Amino acid sequence: MELGSYATASAVLSLRAQELAAPEYRIEIAPYTVELTPKHSVRTVAYNGQVPGPLLRFEEGRPVTIEVVNQSTNAEVVHWHGLFLPSDVDGAMEEGTPMIPPGGKARYTFTPRPAGFRWYHTHTTAGDDLKKGQYGGQHGFLLIKPKQDPARYDQEVFLALHDWDGQMMGSSDGSMSPSYRFSTINGRVLGFGEQMRVKQGQRVLLHILNASATEVHWLALAGHQFHIVALDGNPVPSPRNVAMLRLAPAERVCAVVQMDNPGVWILGEVRKHIHAAGMGMVVEYADHGGLPVWEQPQSLMWDYAQFAAADSAPAATSHAIEIPLVFESKFSGHGAPDRWMINGKSFPNTETGMLKAGERYRLLFKNKSRDDHPVHLHRHSFELRSLPGKPDLRGVMKDVVLVEADTEITVEFTANNAGATLFHCHQQDHMDNGFMMLFRYA
Amino acid sequence: MLEGMVELPVRFRIQLAILALSMVVFCCAPSAKSQGNYEIQVYGADTLAPKSIMVELHSNYTVVGQREMIDGVYPTNHQQHETLEITQGINDWSEVGFYVFTSLQDGHGWQWVGDHIRPRVRVPDSWHWPVGVSLSTEIGYQRTEYSSDTWTWEIRPIVDKAVGRWYFAVNPALERTLHGPGVADGVGFAPAAKVGYDFTRAISGGLEYYANYGRITSISDLHDQQQQVFLVTDLNVSPKWEINIGVGIGATAATDHWIVKGILGRHFSWGKQSAVE
Repeated sequence: MELGSYATASAVLSLRAQELAAPEYRIEIAPYTVELTPKHSVRTVAYNGQVPGPLLRFEEGRPVTIEVVNQSTNAEVVHWHGLFLPSDVDGAMEEGTPMIPPGGKARYTFTPRPAGFRWYHTHTTAGDDLKKGQYGGQHGFLLIKPKQDPARYDQEVFLALHDWDGQMMGSSDGSMSPSYRFSTINGRVLGFGEQMRVKQGQRVLLHILNASATEVHWLALAGHQFHIVALDGNPVPSPRNVAMLRLAPAERVCAVVQMDNPGVWILGEVRKHIHAAGMGMVVEYADHGGLPVWEQPQSLMWDYAQFAAADSAPAATSHAIEIPLVFESKFSGHGAPDRWMINGKSFPNTETGMLKAGERYRLLFKNKSRDDHPVHLHRHSFELRSLPGKPDLRGVMKDVVLVEADTEITVEFTANNAGATLFHCHQQDHMDNGFMMLFRYA
Repeated sequence: MLEGMVELPVRFRIQLAILALSMVVFCCAPSAKSQGNYEIQVYGADTLAPKSIMVELHSNYTVVGQREMIDGVYPTNHQQHETLEITQGINDWSEVGFYVFTSLQDGHGWQWVGDHIRPRVRVPDSWHWPVGVSLSTEIGYQRTEYSSDTWTWEIRPIVDKAVGRWYFAVNPALERTLHGPGVADGVGFAPAAKVGYDFTRAISGGLEYYANYGRITSISDLHDQQQQVFLVTDLNVSPKWEINIGVGIGATAATDHWIVKGILGRHFSWGKQSAVE
């Protein structure tokens, strides 16, 4: 799209929004230097001069207007991740949301739903520039206040995981993948960020977002367990205590931690090299001091299925139209990232899936590649129906699911939000290299 | 934890400085000849990961080579060279290699030829250089029956780059003799280079070039230079295995005319290899 088109589209969007409401929120996209430690900074682009961007709290069903001003040098668009929005404000150019040209502005007016922990982020292509797109600092928390909270809590804490200063490196699968120098929580390296201060007996509700462009992260809190209450912002049927969390890119976890083990602890990445790259935060009880304690787990444990409905027995089988989606890579050389294909084709040549409003669809993900893929469906939520070795699941609603290499997963969703709908791998390098397709409503 | 990460380049710089100083001393010293066809390989810039070891067998057969014994050195014609190379990763940016050279030939049996040791350091990934760069130095002994120069030293800068399906590497090595008639010859220039192309994820092919131009201060006549080109293939069947096969032709009178080479390597790791490591 040429610059003139950007401007026109922006103006149209702006005019439409002005008719509806004056902006209640303003987001400025602009260059920003994020200080990871006093000695290490990264020049990036951020929202309102902070990483993560400002926390947006909306009420479910109450229309809002957000003015976005683009002071960066690239055309931008803001995607409201996990919301059921019309295509023209969802925030993906491929669906028809206009880009905001450099120096331009747009107003997004929509009615936020569904309730829960969502987020917003840039939805642009980065290509070879590992400082653009989701590699940079354009991400923020978005909480749509539920009519009923999924958990009782005394304190709410928002945490964003991110990786910085990447470069393309040869990887074990024989192609190039990003590798990062720093990993952070809320933009700061362990030991240099704000501490999480708690009191004994408190129930702390953690809203954790993996805002990394490409990396899966594992988190543990020494001396404590997480009581998982929601995945991707949606309450789970079977809340459970777990020792650690796994978050693929774009996934969110809401977990309550019962603060019943006084001391000074580390909440950090479980894998040692990521922990050493800085991903961690100090959790300090009131009236306690000393060096923070880290208890190194010796294995990685996570299973979506444990949060499914207890009666996951095959219920009345809903009629669902099956859509198989096969993920494969096309080798482009040891000195290049792979091209990615869905059913044998790369975006923009991928097939367009046609949906009929009101129908139920079953997506069969077959990952025949050597990489894991956190796949994301825009503007809808889907229900996990099967995982490897677990054929009948119910009740876990998500908008991102990690499909591990050489595995198959089944999800179902109802086509209840007409408009162009993007489906893609949330790894920036994968979506930039063809791992996207569109669904359209007939 | 973080301090360790920051200190790493500093330690590397010190080692690099020592090696650079060695190179200056080396270049001011007298020189040497090539070391024979015991290890025919263009080095890539990467080093072996810590807690891992690579065991390689270099098998080189001279189909057509020197037929005469010269200065007490056995002729190379129909010599089978078997070289065992064991490389140990030290940390994220250094390794040490150790070689055992052997030779099989009618009339001489299977003979031990000599041993070399080869430490190597590389530019850490965190420096974000656009090309891979490392510096290798190799010192060792070989018996007089196989080389008139018994103690030799080599310093080898290595630069490589993968671009899409293409791979490029250059090794502008400098050699000198520490003991033997070549001591008086000055510094020798023995570059090597490689161009590869990935036909598939598993199969690459390309050309490798090896040369010895003689003294760096006085390049030999072409007749006396060693000039070899190998047509090679690399089979990337598994991260655990390294397979390289090639056929080389020597273009000058001073070069063995036909050589067939093969490298078979196996990667081993030890220590705690849990998922959190």
